[in-house]
Amino acid sequence: MKDKTLIFGNGPCAHYIAEDLLSTGEDIVIATTDKTCDFSPSEHSGSIEILTDTRLVSCRGAVGDFRILTARNNKEIKRTVAGVIVAEEDQRKSNFSQYGLIGSSNVITLSRMKELLLDSSHKQSIFLKAKKVVFLTGLVKESHPAIAEEIMHSALRLQSDFNLQTYILTANLKVAADGLEALCRETKEAGAVYIKFTDTRPEIHSKSNDSVQIEFVDEITLKKFRLTPDITVVDETIVPSDYAVDLAKLLSINTDPDGFVQADNVHRFTVFTNRKGIMVAGPSRSIQTCSDQITDAANAALVSAGRMADLQIVPEDRAEIDKGLCIRCLTCYRLCPYRAIMLNTRVVVEPHACERCGICAAQCPRGAIHIKDLEPESILNHMPKGYNPQKEVAFTPFIVAFCCSRSAVLARELSRCMGHELPSGLKVLEVPCSGSISLDHIFAAFKKNADGVLVLTCHEGNCHSERGNVYARQTVDQIADKFPRIGFEKDRIAIQTLASNMGTEFAEMVNRFEANIIELGPSRLKKNQ
Amino acid sequence: MPDAKGILLTRKHENIADFRVFVFSRTLIDRKQTGRYQFEMGNKNVLIIGGGTAGLSAAVELVNLDIHVDLVEKSDFLGGHAIGYTCKATRNTCVKCGACMVEEKLNDTMLHPKIKIWTGSRVQEVSKNGRFTAKIHCKPKYIDPHKCTNCRICFDKCPVDGAILHGFSKNNIPFYAINEELCLYLKDKSCGLCRDECPETAINLDPKATEYIKEADAVLVAAGFHPFNPEDKPYGYHRFQNVITSLDLERMLKQVGRVKRPGDATIPERIAFIQCVGSRDSKLNHLWCSKVCCGSALRMARLIKERQPDIDISFFYIDVQTFGKDFEQFYKDVQEEVRMIRAIPGDIYETDRQKLKINFLDNNTHETLEEIFDLVVLSIGIAPGKDNGEIAELLHLKLADSGFFKSGDEEASAPNTGIFSAGTISGAMSIPETIASAGKAARQIVKYFRANDS
Repeated sequence: MKDKTLIFGNGPCAHYIAEDLLSTGEDIVIATTDKTCDFSPSEHSGSIEILTDTRLVSCRGAVGDFRILTARNNKEIKRTVAGVIVAEEDQRKSNFSQYGLIGSSNVITLSRMKELLLDSSHKQSIFLKAKKVVFLTGLVKESHPAIAEEIMHSALRLQSDFNLQTYILTANLKVAADGLEALCRETKEAGAVYIKFTDTRPEIHSKSNDSVQIEFVDEITLKKFRLTPDITVVDETIVPSDYAVDLAKLLSINTDPDGFVQADNVHRFTVFTNRKGIMVAGPSRSIQTCSDQITDAANAALVSAGRMADLQIVPEDRAEIDKGLCIRCLTCYRLCPYRAIMLNTRVVVEPHACERCGICAAQCPRGAIHIKDLEPESILNHMPKGYNPQKEVAFTPFIVAFCCSRSAVLARELSRCMGHELPSGLKVLEVPCSGSISLDHIFAAFKKNADGVLVLTCHEGNCHSERGNVYARQTVDQIADKFPRIGFEKDRIAIQTLASNMGTEFAEMVNRFEANIIELGPSRLKKNQ
Repeated sequence: MPDAKGILLTRKHENIADFRVFVFSRTLIDRKQTGRYQFEMGNKNVLIIGGGTAGLSAAVELVNLDIHVDLVEKSDFLGGHAIGYTCKATRNTCVKCGACMVEEKLNDTMLHPKIKIWTGSRVQEVSKNGRFTAKIHCKPKYIDPHKCTNCRICFDKCPVDGAILHGFSKNNIPFYAINEELCLYLKDKSCGLCRDECPETAINLDPKATEYIKEADAVLVAAGFHPFNPEDKPYGYHRFQNVITSLDLERMLKQVGRVKRPGDATIPERIAFIQCVGSRDSKLNHLWCSKVCCGSALRMARLIKERQPDIDISFFYIDVQTFGKDFEQFYKDVQEEVRMIRAIPGDIYETDRQKLKINFLDNNTHETLEEIFDLVVLSIGIAPGKDNGEIAELLHLKLADSGFFKSGDEEASAPNTGIFSAGTISGAMSIPETIASAGKAARQIVKYFRANDS
């Protein structure tokens, strides 16, 4: 069975991906809401199917076996694919209201300006009558290099091809994209005038006859100016398309605060999502320039084509649900960041989709989920039987540090390389994600004579399992809250965040914690004393 | 043909097995065992020039497709500039600078047996006759990675500042290296303290340089950038001790976690960040924005404010560039903590107690103001690599006028030459962008292999 890749989208990025995958013999399906798709691949060895006018209805299954249900005019279309790539286009929202303007024939959006410049028939009408063009960008909300690039290209054309005077009014001029600083110089040489505002803003008045008047004090010369442009071009905000937002929901992909179909998390670089086998490329995941889209497309194709080998081995160390204990409360289903819990006749874990973060096992109210080597008991077995400091020497606290494998464990090793002194009674327990730490784990540590328990997690927003560190914090807070009520010092448990490259901070944290524990003295739960 | 075994670093893990209870490493599947590859790539070999973010990322992507990699890094440590960057998280929240991703790529590289690592090495000759044949020159290995235990004694005992270098990651193995330019023994054999003091006898100061011939099916140039040298600007870098670069600050924060003045190790009361040093500069003909400096500087400024809230920070800039998805909010917050001054200072003078006097035009009053700072951080830009010319010549490529390599889209390396590029060798990029460009290069290489096999 050859595995197919489903691509959502009909824009340049989707086409780049399709072309790329076909060229190395992958089979693809393109699904678009557009009525037509003019994608015509050059020479290729893979098979292609194009579903136009089609919307996603549901997606079941996991990587290697996604069962996709789409609809075209209420007619169902079913496909089974191994992987999915979301490559929808973005959309623009006009910023007229930000500047107190209303769109008209001479107050236009940046997209409209681009259209006018592309359309040769318009040359006569609008540009021949005009003399001054003003671009308003980034004066209310911050702009983006992708917008700045379009403004500069437009201004350059207007200056050189139509001999119009252009003014670009902005706060921070965004030039952080390839070639933009040079392009900016070029527009200046062509005659475009950049007026930058720092502490002041121009006053924009919209007159009854649709004309616009802009008054401002130039911040360098302190002189007052008044501009009455013939055409006012207002910048736009780039947002994900509505369908991309819908797709994120239907595919259970975490989005960023603006709704782009990729969580703002470094572990998702470049085209990954929280779900294995589902990728997102191009303007669906962030604001992008043209060259960004080509790069994204290549990355999506790279991951997509490399997927098959991964599916050959069924991992054996993933979460397993004990069907005798499971009461189908669906806590695991709700919490699994990777959507690896499948609701079939019973609740099961799809091993290929499971990343072994352990959140489900830690949160299951019935203790019905097991992960090899992550049980509190197996951790107990690795702990020393008892910790008996010699009576004569000063109290050396026995500290158990639960460390996330992606951050704290590496930070600890770096800390040692850098030559930092670490507490001699420190015992590091490596966990795949701090989300796997349950109440049982922490109590087990205290039972095993720990004087203090430290949980070290990734920073917020840096957790590979999205919220594993948040769950860990809840667990710790819950215990710290209860400890005083049972007469136990709550400072014996603490949670801190760090990253894999924070060796110095690791040493600081554990040493500070040790000092706190020394102050508290030995734990009263300690046996054999 | 000589084999690389002599210098191939085995993945020597620290002697910490007793400390770690159970090891969870993301499983590295030896896909060869599965025998089900998309394409048969097991006999392919790629030579990667440069072991920074781009080189490491590309290497990891390629070995995942069963392609062998020779990773040649001219310095003693893998990871490039970015491995020295600090984590800039504030309020326990990640700011997505990507520094930890470099650490992860390096970690994956070290774990993978199919990546051969050549640190302290340079590619000297490349010829193409069907495949590429490259001569790799390896400088002497003074410190035996198998014996070194990172005890730091050599570093502490060395009488010359900077003659023993240290790494920035636990995956820099060995963690220390001898700086050939400063070592007294290599100069006139007048010192041998590190060798004599090393308890593991890991240091040998007399080994010879070696040369190897390696064959490759494709070459990936990922030699990175050169941090702009601000000595040419009137800011007194290297003349005034308390003028440092953003790179110096990154490393200081990574190692010490706090800011101190290099001059007298006191905590500064006032810090000035000066942006666009070596970027957006028509006098230097540097007509590019380095993209990363605004993000790096403002994130570090915020980190300093969190850890040392008494320090006043001023930020001199032309335009604040967008970085990160949460830029709007970040920018709002940082403006409350940092004094933003939209001006680039003319020059810097040293006053008493090594303080620094900065002249600049104040936006509000339109007067030239003079202010005293304890520490000045120059946000140095991304400049073309020093070796770019040499590498281009080696591979018969032409550089762009800027001194960078032409990016892949301009097809400077025509698609069928088998030479590819990734990362900041072709212009300024952030860490995420660099990782993306490495992925793209890896895909191009796969396609090149496919096209030339069929």
